[in-house]
Amino acid sequence: MNKPQSPLWTNSTSEARKTGTWRSALPDYQNIPSPCLGACPVDGEIATWLRQVTQIDHYGAWLTLMENNPFPAIAGRICHHPCQTACNRVQLDETVGICSLERFVGDKAITEGWSIPKPEVERTESIAIIGGGPAGLSAAYQLRRRGYQVTIYESREQLGGLLRYGIPAYRLDNSIVDAEVGRITDLGVKVHLGVEIMNSAALAKLKEDYSAVFLATGASRPKALPGLDYSQPYVQDSADFLAITNGGKTCELGENLLVIGGGSAAMDVARTARRLGRHVTVLTLESDENLPAQRTEVDEAREENVEFICGAMLKDVNSTKDGLILTCARVDFQPGAAKGQFTTTQIEGSEFELRVDAIIPAIGQDADLARWQDVVPGDKGLIDTDQSWRTQTEGIFAAGDVASMARFVTEAVGQAKHAAVAIARYVSPDEAKDPPPLLAEAKFNVINTAYHSPDARHNQENLKVEVRLQSFDEVQIALSAEQAIAEAGRCFSCGTCIDCDNCYLYCPDMAISKLEGGGYVVNLDFCKGCGLCVAECPTGSIHMQEDLPS
Amino acid sequence: MMETIEYTDRGQFFSGHVACAGCVEALSLRVILNTVGKDAVAVVPPSCTAVICGSYPHSAANIPVFHTTLESGAASASGVKRALVAQGKNDTTVLCLAGDGGTYDIGLQALSSAAERNEDILYVCFDNEGYMNTGGQKSSSTPLSAVTGSTPAGKTTRKKNMVEILAAHRIPYIATASPSDLNDMEAKVKKAKGLRGTKVLIVLIPCLPGWGVADNSAVKVARLAVETGVFPLFEVEGGIDYKMNVTTRSRPVQEYLSTQKRYKHLTAENIATLQADVDDDWQRLVNRCG
Repeated sequence: MNKPQSPLWTNSTSEARKTGTWRSALPDYQNIPSPCLGACPVDGEIATWLRQVTQIDHYGAWLTLMENNPFPAIAGRICHHPCQTACNRVQLDETVGICSLERFVGDKAITEGWSIPKPEVERTESIAIIGGGPAGLSAAYQLRRRGYQVTIYESREQLGGLLRYGIPAYRLDNSIVDAEVGRITDLGVKVHLGVEIMNSAALAKLKEDYSAVFLATGASRPKALPGLDYSQPYVQDSADFLAITNGGKTCELGENLLVIGGGSAAMDVARTARRLGRHVTVLTLESDENLPAQRTEVDEAREENVEFICGAMLKDVNSTKDGLILTCARVDFQPGAAKGQFTTTQIEGSEFELRVDAIIPAIGQDADLARWQDVVPGDKGLIDTDQSWRTQTEGIFAAGDVASMARFVTEAVGQAKHAAVAIARYVSPDEAKDPPPLLAEAKFNVINTAYHSPDARHNQENLKVEVRLQSFDEVQIALSAEQAIAEAGRCFSCGTCIDCDNCYLYCPDMAISKLEGGGYVVNLDFCKGCGLCVAECPTGSIHMQEDLPS
Repeated sequence: MMETIEYTDRGQFFSGHVACAGCVEALSLRVILNTVGKDAVAVVPPSCTAVICGSYPHSAANIPVFHTTLESGAASASGVKRALVAQGKNDTTVLCLAGDGGTYDIGLQALSSAAERNEDILYVCFDNEGYMNTGGQKSSSTPLSAVTGSTPAGKTTRKKNMVEILAAHRIPYIATASPSDLNDMEAKVKKAKGLRGTKVLIVLIPCLPGWGVADNSAVKVARLAVETGVFPLFEVEGGIDYKMNVTTRSRPVQEYLSTQKRYKHLTAENIATLQADVDDDWQRLVNRCG
C-alpha cells in the first residue's frame, strides 16, 4: 500500500517497543537426562531412539542404540531393564515397554543386514582382550570402531560367553548371538578361539606384546554348595548343564530334578529341564517375593509347571537305589546390606523330605583369579579396579563379572564400554574423555501430562505354554511394526526436546523462533519471561533461569 | 502419540505489545489474527485488546484496527462491514474484538441489535470475567463468589449466560473457545470466517492479575476450566443445534477454583454450590445436545 496515510494513523509495528526489558527470568533450552538414561547400565539414549522409532527411522534408532551397546537384539530379550523400573510414565498409567522396543530395533537390524560403519581412521596401537563374552565383545567393539587393533583370546570354541553357553534358546536363540557377534568381528577383530591365558607368565607376555590388555573372563567357576558332593553322578552344576543343553545335547540326569537357587541361572536350568520333559522342583533360600531372578522369569517358570519351594535349604542327601532322598528344612532368610549377602536361620522342627533323581545347584559363580594373582591382585573374589576399570598393574584393565558383583549382561557391556574409553585414553592420550557425569534427571513433575493421554502398554505376547514345553522356540513374540510405533509413542521423552513447537506456538509475545534443522531460540528483545513455554512443554526440556542484567 | 498444535503463524500479530507477561488474551489474539489472515479489519472497543493492539503510533496487529466506544463495538463493526461491501470488498472479514464488559454489559444493546439484523461480522469476546483493565471491577460475566475490586466479599449473583442470550437471536454460529485448546480455537475461527451473518466466539481468558494466577499458569487454569466443566467447549448453530466439543468432565470444580486467588476465601459450602451449578449447567447442555 503506497497511498499517502493520515498522520493520525499508526505508522510502525509494536516491534519498536522492546518488552524484553520487563523480564527477570529467561527460558533456557537444556536437554536433561531422562530417568531411564540414568538407570540404563550402558547409558543408552533411550528417549532419543524411541523418538526415532516413532518417526519410522529404524536405522537411526539402531545407530543411537549401537553408540553404547552393540547388542540391541540380545539386550532387548534378556536385559533386566532397570530403565523400565525408572520410567516416569508409571505415574500416569504403565511404564513404556522399552525392552521390547529395543528388541524390535535389534531384530530389524538383523533382518535388514545392517553392518557397523568401518572405523574412520586406523590406529597402530593394539589391545588384547581376554574373554569373548559380553564384556570382552563390548570393549572390542568400542575400541575397534575407534580404529584400534583388537585381538580377542577366548577359551571356548566360539565367541559369546554367557550369551551362547549360559542362556537357553527359548530366551535368546544362538542365531541372534551369531548375528550380533558377527557384526563385531566383521569390523576386523582378530579372534583366537580355544586359547586360555593360563597363568601370570602368559598374561605378562601379552602385556609386553600389546599396548594394553583387557581382562573380561567373567565368573566361570561355580560356587560350591557346602556339604554337597559334586563328584557324585547325580550332581551337575548349572553352568555345565546349560552349556551341554544349549549345545543341543540332551540331559543325562534322571526324571525328577531338584534345582537349587533362585536367580536367573536357576530359572534357565529349570525351564530347560521342563522342555526336556523332566519334572522340576526349585529350592530357594529366599522367600518367593525376594527371589533374585526377574519376576517374569519366575512367573513363566510357574506357568511351565516348575514347582517352587521357597525359603528352604538342603540339609542332607541320601542316595538309594530308587533315587535320592533329600532332607530339607525351612529357613528364615534375611537379605544383607550388599547384593549377594544374606543370613539364614533354620526354623526348628521344619524338616521335610524330597525324593528326586539328581541335583543341579545354581547358586552363582565366582571369578577365577588365582591364575593371575602375581600380575593382577584382587581380593573379595574380584580383580581390584579403580573407577576407570584400571587394575593395579599399569596397562591392564578389567571389567564385567571378573571385576564387579553387578552380575547382569548389560552391566558388563556398560562397564566394558567405559573401560574401552579408559583404554583408548591410556594408549593414546589425545582420545576424548568419557562424557561428564549426568545432570539431575527430569522428574515426573516437569512433564505436562495434558499432552499425554492414558494409553495402556502394548505388551509382547508369549507362546502358549503347551507349545513352549515342546520346543526351545522363543517364548516372547516380538511386537509388530504397528505395535512398536504405538508403544514408542507412549514415551514422554522426559527432558528431551521433540521439536513439537509448543513453546513457539504458545508464546504470547512471538519471542521464540524455530531454528533450521530443529531447536528454538529465544528473542531477548521481546521475551517477557512469563514461563508459559516452560509450563506447556510436554517433555520438561525448557527451564526458567534468573536473568540478571549483565 | 502426542497431539500437536496446528495453527500457522503468518506474521499477523507483532511482538512488543504491552499485554502482561503470560497473558493468554495476547496468545488468543495471535491465533485468531493469524487464522483470519490479511483480508480483515478489526473493530475494538475499550478493553485489554485495545491496549494490546496498540498505542499510537505503534500497532501490534497487521490489519487495520478501528478503536470505537465501549457501547458501540457491534454497531461500529456493522458499519465498517457495510462500508466495505459498498466498496465491493465483500470478502473482507470484519472482526469485533471486545472484552466481557463491552459484550455482557455496556455493549450488549449494540450486539443484540447487530445480531437481530444478522450483520455479517465475526464478534470475539475475550471473557476475563470482569473489568480487568481498569483495576478489576466486577462485570455481569463475573461468576458467583468471585472476588473483584467491587465485590470484595465475593459476587452474590451468577454469571450471565451470554450464549443463551445470543442463541435466542438465532444467529448462524456461537462457540466457546479456550487458550488451552488452540486447535479447537483455530477450527472455530475458520468455521466462523466461512459463514455469513453474525458469528460470536466467546474465549475464556484467565486474567493473571485479576484472578490471582501465576504468570506461567493461564493456560493451565483455562485447561482446568474445560476439564472441570466450568467452561464447556461447545458450538451452537442457528441458535438451536448444540454440539459439545469436549464431552467429558474429568475433575471436580475445586481443582479449578484452587488455582485462583479470587476464590481463596471460599467455604466448603460455597464450593459445593458452585459444583452444583456446574453440574446443573452441564446437564442442561448435554440435554440440549440431545
